[in-house]
Amino acid sequence: MLQRLYNQHSETLAFPFAATAEAGGFCLAHPLLSPPPRRRRRSLVTGATMVVAKKTKKTQESINNRLALVMKSGKYTLGYKTVLRSLRNNKGKLVLIANNCPPLRKSEIEYYAMLAKVGVHHFNGNNVDLGTACGKYFRVCCLSIIDPGDSDIIKSMPGDQ
Amino acid sequence: MVKFLKPGKAVIVLQGRFAGRKAVIVRCFDEGTRDRPYGHCLVAGILKYPKKVIRKDSAKKTAKKSRVKAFLKMVNYSHIMPTRYTLDVDLKDVVTLDVLQSRDKKVAACKETKARFEERFKTGKNRWFFTKLRF
Repeated sequence: MLQRLYNQHSETLAFPFAATAEAGGFCLAHPLLSPPPRRRRRSLVTGATMVVAKKTKKTQESINNRLALVMKSGKYTLGYKTVLRSLRNNKGKLVLIANNCPPLRKSEIEYYAMLAKVGVHHFNGNNVDLGTACGKYFRVCCLSIIDPGDSDIIKSMPGDQ
Repeated sequence: MVKFLKPGKAVIVLQGRFAGRKAVIVRCFDEGTRDRPYGHCLVAGILKYPKKVIRKDSAKKTAKKSRVKAFLKMVNYSHIMPTRYTLDVDLKDVVTLDVLQSRDKKVAACKETKARFEERFKTGKNRWFFTKLRF
């Protein structure tokens, strides 16, 4: 039912789901390809410049490190159903979403997180990469951190939306 | 980490006979019960939305078009979509747990809910709740 609503209303914002906010234009950091050059877009209307920055390798590594620490010492749940469940019963503190998450699912999780006032982090990698970052051998599209343990992931990335 | 599935929250029912209908949470059971070992809530929703009233409608026609039909249901949390809207209509005294046991109690409670919804609709508040969700 949600898919029908989304298909019809994706142009207008009449639906409770607002259009997904741009995540700042992060590019995929494929290890084999060279990263695209830094682009500077000039908007024709206002004349203001918008820098499309590539997410630096350093922050990506730090997220991976923090995530590894959470996996080791904290509590988390993996997967769409448990993420929504953790948001509904207010256990979730931070939600991470892979970049190839289907847009309807991404909007839904973001909406739930907005209602629960929980930060959402758009992971710079697809579900395969997120699964690898969690130390798992399967794909992970979204995960929810319930208890960060020793990690400071919640304080340092309070949801870039 | 704010609790948002609270009484008064407007939700959209996603599954079942009432899929696509807007409802308001009356009572929540976060931990579940013996019969329903999952998070669920009692909702009161709109089965038949009021029709669009225009200026040239007579009083009799306006009254007929503003009618609302309500339903009561226990739904699983995963079968509803919470929204950012709320509807603060006091239904706690009308819609209680024992209402769902017998048919005539349920019908009586639905009638009372319908009356409260209609009176809220006529004030013109909570307009989003009383418009049909188009899909």
